[in-house]
Amino acid sequence: MTESTNPSNAADAATHGFLGEEFLTWLWYRWETDGGEYDLSAGRRIGIALDDFLAFGAPSEDETEQTLRRGLPTRTPQARSALRQGRRLKKAKLILADGSRQWVATLDASTMTLSGVRLPEDAEDVESPQDRTADRAANWLAIYEMVMAVYGQFLRERLRNDYRESDGEKQANWMAE
Amino acid sequence: MAVLKRSGGFVALFWQGKIPDPREEAFCEALAERRFRTIENAASEETSVGWVTPALPTGDEFTPEDLDAGAATWLRMRIDKKVLPKKWLAVHLESEERARGKKLPPRERRELKQDIGEKLLPRVLPTINLVDALMFHERKTILLFGTSNAVIEAFGKLFFETFALPLDRANPYQCATRLGLDRDLVAGLDRLQPIRWPDVTGGDQPARRELPSVAPAAPVTEMPAAAEAGVEPEVVPFELDEEPQLEEPQLEEPQREEPRQEEPQQQEPGPEEPGQ
Repeated sequence: MTESTNPSNAADAATHGFLGEEFLTWLWYRWETDGGEYDLSAGRRIGIALDDFLAFGAPSEDETEQTLRRGLPTRTPQARSALRQGRRLKKAKLILADGSRQWVATLDASTMTLSGVRLPEDAEDVESPQDRTADRAANWLAIYEMVMAVYGQFLRERLRNDYRESDGEKQANWMAE
Repeated sequence: MAVLKRSGGFVALFWQGKIPDPREEAFCEALAERRFRTIENAASEETSVGWVTPALPTGDEFTPEDLDAGAATWLRMRIDKKVLPKKWLAVHLESEERARGKKLPPRERRELKQDIGEKLLPRVLPTINLVDALMFHERKTILLFGTSNAVIEAFGKLFFETFALPLDRANPYQCATRLGLDRDLVAGLDRLQPIRWPDVTGGDQPARRELPSVAPAAPVTEMPAAAEAGVEPEVVPFELDEEPQLEEPQLEEPQREEPRQEEPQQQEPGPEEPGQ
């Protein structure tokens, strides 16, 4: 594993698109090796799993991107092969769970955009349209905050000076399996 | 009464600085200043962008109650666009040329297009696009339910015209700076370079092409477990509670994607000797 530079891509360097892709790949790693559970503040524990859509970024502009849909794409030889080639996930459909509530969303990692989001069912006790709107607004905020909180956990790990010799190496081993 | 949707996509936007509290009249007054104005009867191709409320899509009234979404403020941007349908234009041009019995020279054709446009455009109804956003005032964050660059740009422009503050679009860097990380960690962000995970396929896959212009000054150091081909990493089988029912996945290769406006496709960077 090496760190690398690419001066030709100033925009990505400015937005750190690569970091989002590393984050998404890390979510997969954590899900497979550690169950994908994360402790948030106030004793909350959430879970994040990958669902039925994966898109791997192309290592360079003249190479191909790979998209796997339907079924269990994380368990396929194609997905494993992409990891063994050192490819990062660019987009993936995620399932996020907080207690009995469940969200589904596709994360475009390099822009941190969430698309195809499906919120949990409305709470049973909401009656008026206004309450329903407030409940959903809270759920929209919740998925954003969950992703950000876990992204923060990833960054605390990734920004450590010994990352490459510790967690980075473990992830490299997992990718090479 | 309108109800906020339960599905869709969003991009997060951030602002710095002060804007009026959405519970106060000043906030509604700011929106009303940039309210949506109709172009229903306009005789030219144009676009109109402005604020409306979820309760009233005309932009005639703004009250804090109409914007209330519990912890959030529910904003709605309306974009109307009037475009002369090309097929109608072609039909009218053809019938005019037929009536004159000859093909028109370019200048006359341009003038005729203009005349037809002036005649038809007042009768053309604009397309309407309503874009919702949730504003979390204390967090200085907006979740915009539109992920196209055009919508994000239009929203940013309208927000700026309304509150005189620019919006920053979320990206991995922006998000990282807003997470309350230690100052040392945030400082490390600027120096951060992508990890290039090793290719351990050892020839069973096409080799990754290196960029010759950024060849390393020193040998690339790979991680021990990912070492050269022939050194097999220790494999720990992934255990499942139950055997998954695998559907045949659809492998799509190559996959073309819309070009990212703000973030061009990342190229495979040339390797660099590890810093530490």
